[in-house]
Amino acid sequence: MIEVEALTKRYGSTTAVDGLTFTARPGTVTGFLGPNGAGKSTTMRVVVGLERPTSGTARVAGRAYADLPAPLHAVGVMLDARSVHPGRTAWKHLLSMAQTHRIGRARVHEVIAQTGLEPVAHRRAGTFSLGMGQRLGIAGALLGDPATLVLDEPVNGLDPDGVLWVRRLVRDLAAEGRTVLLSSHLMHELALCADRVVIIGRGRLLADAPVQEVVARSERAGTVRVRTTDDEALVRELLAVGAQVTPQEGGTLHVRGTSVDEVGTAARRCGVTVLELAAETGSLEEAYLQLTGDAVEYRTAGAAGGAR
Amino acid sequence: MSAATTSVPGARAATALRSGPTSGRVVSAEWTKLLSLRSPWWTAAVTVLVAGVITYLSAQASSVDPGFDPVQSLPLGLALAQIGPLVLGVLAGAGEFRTGAFRTTFALVPRRWPVLAAQVLVVGAFALGTAVLTTTACVVGVLPSARSRGIAVDLTAGDTPGLLLGMVGLVVGLALLGLALGALLRRTVPALVTGLLLVLVLPIVLMTAADPLAGGGDPAALGALDAAATTTPLGTLAVLTPGTAAQLLATEASAGPMPGAPDLGPVGGGLVLAAWVLVLLAAAGLRLRTRDLR
Repeated sequence: MIEVEALTKRYGSTTAVDGLTFTARPGTVTGFLGPNGAGKSTTMRVVVGLERPTSGTARVAGRAYADLPAPLHAVGVMLDARSVHPGRTAWKHLLSMAQTHRIGRARVHEVIAQTGLEPVAHRRAGTFSLGMGQRLGIAGALLGDPATLVLDEPVNGLDPDGVLWVRRLVRDLAAEGRTVLLSSHLMHELALCADRVVIIGRGRLLADAPVQEVVARSERAGTVRVRTTDDEALVRELLAVGAQVTPQEGGTLHVRGTSVDEVGTAARRCGVTVLELAAETGSLEEAYLQLTGDAVEYRTAGAAGGAR
Repeated sequence: MSAATTSVPGARAATALRSGPTSGRVVSAEWTKLLSLRSPWWTAAVTVLVAGVITYLSAQASSVDPGFDPVQSLPLGLALAQIGPLVLGVLAGAGEFRTGAFRTTFALVPRRWPVLAAQVLVVGAFALGTAVLTTTACVVGVLPSARSRGIAVDLTAGDTPGLLLGMVGLVVGLALLGLALGALLRRTVPALVTGLLLVLVLPIVLMTAADPLAGGGDPAALGALDAAATTTPLGTLAVLTPGTAAQLLATEASAGPMPGAPDLGPVGGGLVLAAWVLVLLAAAGLRLRTRDLR
């Protein structure tokens, strides 16, 4: 369990995190979303005690991180792939981590096998690909068999196999009753493996809700997509029943304020042949872009235009 | 969904064994970390080699003097070899921060300072091993010259045991000085440059300026003995630099003061060096304790 309460972190005049409150619960994968510079990593560093909050609190398992008697057993942490000395082998890195909590060598071998690092265990971490580095980071997080895991961008740089593996791993960890807080900029990925999302922008909370709920809030959710032989007739018919119609590229129409059934019936009434008719589903990506639209700190004009 | 709200998950929840970082555990982890890198081994090997070779060459050069004393040649190799332990310490102290490995380290030991204490022990122990080998290399280095002049080298006589101990102390002391600088400044190059300034450049500048004969004084008027007995403010300052203090530590007790400087002797030099290390370590510990780690 991770409880962040009214957390604020300032660096001089810059406010990185601004009154953030959220809870990551046991048995749940909590996705942590936000544009670059939104304060995700700062929040995670405060949670694991590397930085002190300007005000507010962050607690893990009911305590401040620094007060945990055995941090490695309480929280598995993977903050950055660059948290390993490049001159040290994966095996020695994990062994030295284990020694701080007197965890046996058998367990070190176990996490090496679990993360598929066996072939490279005795290679220096500096020679690792990004994906291997991520696996090493995850191995370190699993080492103490912790009840809570904090993973910053764990799928970054992984190949498709690795992405599937992480997705299954975090689902399994949550199914075992563990708390998983996982940040990612890959929204599609989070939609697939998170139960709940916490979305922040400019250090402030924008949304904290189940994934489905956030998706349902997206603009496109509830829109009907239709393509016919005679758009004009159908548009007249639809406007008459109070729907809003927006023509799209490629000859399709987006209809809001109505349902698939009603659009189909309306088409029959005006004798139009329907070539395509479907309910659009929203995506986490869209919901996210809508929410963070004003909160993006750095964006290009082109990217902003293409987002809608 | 959240059935397991109270139970700690995982089969191996043998709660009694789930204890955290103790001093002993942090020391063993730091020991593994130091020995698993290549740089400590390289710097140690180069230190021993350079000390032996330079001592051999210096002893060869001075063995033609009529009053040649092999024991006086013993610490000559350290003038250059002392950079080795300094580098060793800086790499150990700043390495974590340079590479980002500190995130792992301090997430494991959130109280932080036990890590610094463990690094002092571990680097000190490794440097002690290096120091013994370095001193041995120096002894081996003077033997050919001593044999060529038919002089027997007795390591147990007079000031010699103290000198050997001082040489060991110099190597360990400079490694710890490097560690403290690395841990305080957190970046390799600034820490190394600062270290070289304190150990090599500053002492030479101050000693040259402090020498009563260097200021254009008339050697005939002063007399060599008087010059040695006169202390100057710059000379006092020079003795208080870690470089000169380390040099004093590896000097025979009977050698007397350096020109213009108060006579602290080897023990005094060692204390000055130790004070530098302690002050810098305290500053590093304070920074570690009170500041964010980013």
